[in-house]
Amino acid sequence: MKVIETKNLEKIFDGPVPLKAVNNVDLTIEDGEFTAVVGPSGSGKTTLLNMVGGLDRPTGGVAIVNGQDLNELSENELIDFRLKNIGFVFQSYNLIPVLTAKENTEFIMLLQDIKKEIRDERVEALLKEVGLEDKMDQRPSQLSGGQQQRVAVARALASKPSFILADEPTANLDSTSTSNLLDIMEQLNKEEGITFIFSTHDQRVIDRARRVITLVDGQIVSDERR
Amino acid sequence: MLFKIAWKNIWRNKGRSSIVIIAIALGLWAGVFASAFVSGMMKQKVDSVIEKEISHIQFHAKGFRDEFAADLYMKEGAQIDMALHTDSSVKSTSGRVICMAMLGSANQSGAIKAIGVDPAAETSVTGLSKSVVEGKYFEGIKRNPILVSTRTAKKYKLKLRSKVVLTFQDLNGDMVAGAFRVAGIFNTHNGMNDEMNVFVKRKDIGKLIGIPQGAYHELAVMLKQHGIAEATASKYQEIYPEQEVLCWLDLGLGMRYMMEMTGSYTTILVGIILVALLFSIINTMLMAVLERTKEIGMLMAIGMTKGKVFTVIMVETMYLALIGGPLGLLLSYLLIQFFGEKGVDLSGAGYEEMGMASIVYPFLSTAEYIQVFVMVIVMAILAAVYPAIKALRLKPVEAMR
Repeated sequence: MKVIETKNLEKIFDGPVPLKAVNNVDLTIEDGEFTAVVGPSGSGKTTLLNMVGGLDRPTGGVAIVNGQDLNELSENELIDFRLKNIGFVFQSYNLIPVLTAKENTEFIMLLQDIKKEIRDERVEALLKEVGLEDKMDQRPSQLSGGQQQRVAVARALASKPSFILADEPTANLDSTSTSNLLDIMEQLNKEEGITFIFSTHDQRVIDRARRVITLVDGQIVSDERR
Repeated sequence: MLFKIAWKNIWRNKGRSSIVIIAIALGLWAGVFASAFVSGMMKQKVDSVIEKEISHIQFHAKGFRDEFAADLYMKEGAQIDMALHTDSSVKSTSGRVICMAMLGSANQSGAIKAIGVDPAAETSVTGLSKSVVEGKYFEGIKRNPILVSTRTAKKYKLKLRSKVVLTFQDLNGDMVAGAFRVAGIFNTHNGMNDEMNVFVKRKDIGKLIGIPQGAYHELAVMLKQHGIAEATASKYQEIYPEQEVLCWLDLGLGMRYMMEMTGSYTTILVGIILVALLFSIINTMLMAVLERTKEIGMLMAIGMTKGKVFTVIMVETMYLALIGGPLGLLLSYLLIQFFGEKGVDLSGAGYEEMGMASIVYPFLSTAEYIQVFVMVIVMAILAAVYPAIKALRLKPVEAMR
């Protein structure tokens, strides 16, 4: 089943010299993929992921997610769409510093008005899946980088999204933390069929991906399935 | 959860939030206490004016207050007086015969207002007997006793039993004079008023002027409650249209204006302070929003609606105001209660010269406390709007960069 489909997707940034960050990209992501989008800095990886994640508007073409053309949605509708369909894992974790690991994970479900009993059960299960069941009541400042990123993964999963967009998720992690994180993500992908799309420079991530899409100057130059 | 996040957010920077809260509390404390001071001073002035000078209501013949002419008297003064005593809202009355006179002593002479009173009635209305500081209240002198103020006594070099002459026009316009002896010296602590008046027995001066028995120039009425004065005066004006019946607010001295001004004083003073605090809060919250640009962008990215982002910022601001505001009000209340009983002694500051009490008892009504609290809430809401709008304008992608 197609989760993401782009047709002639384009993004031009205004400036003294207009910059075409994404140049007529046609892309299809299927359910259950573990895909890395790679390329040198400035190749358009983040811009592409921002557009399919509904965080940025294309200047040309369409991005269709779960059958919904994102161009047809208003700002508020996009926010709601992201909440229900897309999970995000950011390079710098971006957890809410005043909340504990449990509260950070629960936050998405609160935004979705999910009942407390269901929230409590799911949060416990998710934090257990990422190996942080004993760190529930700790704040981000009390966790290591790897642990914070695992909380971010748990939070991304909390809304039961169609796919998770991870923008350079291992950039700030050491090799052990990177390895642990990727183990968890691979396991979630294989056992629960969760779709992961990475934007990455990290070879360790690229090595684990089952599909590698290479972007150069905003265009797909290769699309390798393993 | 949003309220929890807002609460925890304000304590991220304990120093900054504490400073804002303390600024709100101290600002309110100062403003509210100053308002209470002025309010207390005005209340005492009003109470003093009513209780010692003009009473709640006064009856006069029309035109008397403009000219003080001896022939402008109320023929049925005593009858009106009797009728008033059947009104359960009336506490006491005092009928007066008044004339503008020249007061002459061995050393000096000068203009004065001679007020002829029935001693028992007068003290029931103004408590004049309690103001006597030397001598007795119309006792000890058999014929033509007079009460003078301490200021008058000093000016005219008078002592107890000193002889003075009052010269004035009678009903026919002829000059008449009467010799009086000082029976008592009084001090009502209203320097201006004391200097203008002397008190004699109504029957003594009435005989000299030639005014008929039972006629008064002025009938002063004390009611059992302040609040009904205006309505009662209107009622009696309708009953006695040929007389002039006025309540204390309209008996000159700018009382109505002073009351209206006092009412606005709290609003204006506290309002000025709150406007200053508003900018302090806006500044703090703007800093807090700008510091959290990335976090707010992330929250919108993962699905937090603009409405919820707006709510969090608004609630954070409300928390600051709702901690500082009540704290300031509490400090104000404690200070007002303390000085409300002890008084603020301003003797020597010239307040008595202006007719004000030298010991001020700050006072603020419950309604005024509530008014200030509402002003704090409104200020908090206004202060929150701009930072919250600033947060809403953030685009997730740009904010997270």
